[in-house]
Amino acid sequence: MKPFAELVSFFLIATAITGCTVKAVGDPNRPITINANVVVDIRGLKQTATNIEDMVAQGAVK
Amino acid sequence: MNLHNILNFREGFAMRKIYALGMIMSLVLSTATALCFAADYDYKTMTPDIEKALKNRQARYQQLQRLKQEGVIGENNKGYVTELKNDASATALTADENRDRRVLYEALVEQNKLGSTGLLEVQKAFAEVQKEKAGAGDMIQGSSGDWKKKS
Repeated sequence: MKPFAELVSFFLIATAITGCTVKAVGDPNRPITINANVVVDIRGLKQTATNIEDMVAQGAVK
Repeated sequence: MNLHNILNFREGFAMRKIYALGMIMSLVLSTATALCFAADYDYKTMTPDIEKALKNRQARYQQLQRLKQEGVIGENNKGYVTELKNDASATALTADENRDRRVLYEALVEQNKLGSTGLLEVQKAFAEVQKEKAGAGDMIQGSSGDWKKKS
C-alpha cells in the first residue's frame, strides 16, 4: 500500500474508532456559542421510566 | 507523490476501496454502539425531594389505582394523570400526584443533562410506560388526545 493510502486508511480507521473531536479556536473577547443538540435515547429513557414505576408499585403502601 | 500518480487509475481504485472500507467500518461501529449501549438514565443523586416524591407516590398508589379502575382518573399522553369525573378526593390526589411526577421528571432531566427538550422526552417516555402498565378498563389518552378504555 502506498504511503498516502496508508495515511488515509489510518485516519479513517482512527476516526471510526475514536469518534470526532471538534476544536473551536477564536477571539477570547468574542466567545463562540455552540448550540449542541442533545440526543436522547428513548429506549434507555423508557427502561428508566419502567424501573421507576416498578419501584413505585412495589413499594406501594397497602 | 505528484498529481499524475494521484490521478492514476490504479491509485484511484485503491483509494476508492479504502474510502469504502472506512465508510463500512464507521457504519458497522456506529450501529453496534447503538445496539449494544442503550443510554443509562438514572438518578445520580437521591435528593430529599426525589425521595419525598417517590414515597408520596408509593403512599397514594393503591388509591390512585382504585380511582383509575373506577374511571375517575386517567393516564394522559403527557405522563401525568387527569381527573375525568368530578370527584372531591380525586382533585387533590391528581394535583399531588402530578406535582410529585413533575419533581421526578425534572430531576431526571437535570441529573442526566437532557437539555431543553429533555422534559418533553421524559414525559413522553413515562406516558408510554404508564399506557403499557395500565390495567384493563383503565382510561388512557391516545396520542391524538382521545380517551379510551384499555382493553
